[in-house]
Amino acid sequence: MTKRTLPRLYMVSNSLERPYPAKELPELVRQLTAQLPVIVQLREKHLDARTLYELTLYLQSLMHDSDSLLFLNERLDITLAAGADGTHFPEKSCPIEKIRTVAPGMLLGKSTHSLQSALSAEEEGADYLIFGPIFDTPLKRRYGSPMGLEKLEKVSRNVSIPVFAIGGITPENTRQCMDHGAYGIAALSIFHVTTNLAVTLENFKIALDQ
Amino acid sequence: MQIKRPFLCYITADNLCPVEQSEKALEGGARMIQLRNKGASGSDLYDWAVRIRKLCRIHDAIFIVNDRLDVALTANADGVHLGQRDLPAHLARTLLGKEKILGISVSSLAEAEIAVRAGCDYVGLGHIYPTFSKQKTGRPLGTACITEVSQNLSVPVIAIGGITASNAGDVIRAGATGIAVISTVAEAPDPRKATSELIQNMRSCLQ
Repeated sequence: MTKRTLPRLYMVSNSLERPYPAKELPELVRQLTAQLPVIVQLREKHLDARTLYELTLYLQSLMHDSDSLLFLNERLDITLAAGADGTHFPEKSCPIEKIRTVAPGMLLGKSTHSLQSALSAEEEGADYLIFGPIFDTPLKRRYGSPMGLEKLEKVSRNVSIPVFAIGGITPENTRQCMDHGAYGIAALSIFHVTTNLAVTLENFKIALDQ
Repeated sequence: MQIKRPFLCYITADNLCPVEQSEKALEGGARMIQLRNKGASGSDLYDWAVRIRKLCRIHDAIFIVNDRLDVALTANADGVHLGQRDLPAHLARTLLGKEKILGISVSSLAEAEIAVRAGCDYVGLGHIYPTFSKQKTGRPLGTACITEVSQNLSVPVIAIGGITASNAGDVIRAGATGIAVISTVAEAPDPRKATSELIQNMRSCLQ
């Protein structure tokens, strides 16, 4: 099976941490995917499965003409039902090889917060990893203090699958992440706090393409 | 594994260990366990599902997962039970394949008929009596609704909501194939005994 090339920019949605979720998310997804290829991960744990399924279909329709990919958090049943591209799992989850037997053609990724869990995620057959938090960020403080660029480099060097850096990522520090072996970067807050989304995306694009 | 009278499905309560609860209910004669825990992580649900599936095999009972079809698929459960706000039933049927069991929660004949057309194997009809186990809006359906739905449906009707040892017989007499319970078993001093009493009460009204 040929896998499509993974975009290098990864956006994690989390409407609970934003003021106007219903209006904002589709508009944000539309703007992002119109400007450059993005992985959009729907992480909306407060929504019931029917709403999440319907939202997935709606976002797919907005992303139709782009090279962007739509992933769901954990709910591979909704990914399958909606025909989305992938499913992302938290560090502690059902083993990836088990998931692979149920969804052989699906892109499967995993969040990791240590070298060891990154290695075991690759061994289980994950297609990509998210590693972090790299820099300090209020949303990720519950995962402990930032890992820094050295750990990112260590993980990137020891696995052969794409590693997305997460945690306090901005267009300004993206290049550092790439220089330390990241395949791409994952972010959330930056897309909401920016006053000019188009410029922020352009700066990300430049940093990722260098 | 058939759904036939007198059938008891035990639905796990949020505040207790689902594996221990299931074991007691199975020892008391439950024919189906439904793993339900809205707040649990996918990882916990998967671990519980694998363990409860083994217990159900030993007792020749059916094991299904509430809402989380992903967990049902990865843990190789016997099926899934979906509410009206979960994945659409016809899509769940496609993902499950023909052999697995699909149950749908309904609260009227109209919903039940739609569920059957979508390919469900049984309906969970409720709530029949007032209940506090799940936050429910609307009035209890009462036993007349069981009769109406069961007479017009080609699949078994499992009654749910406020069912106790004192009314389980009425539910069966009204036409239900079985019952689904949470608190009547979970909150009993002896869940094993509470389960077998419910089954005994259903059985006695069949004789």
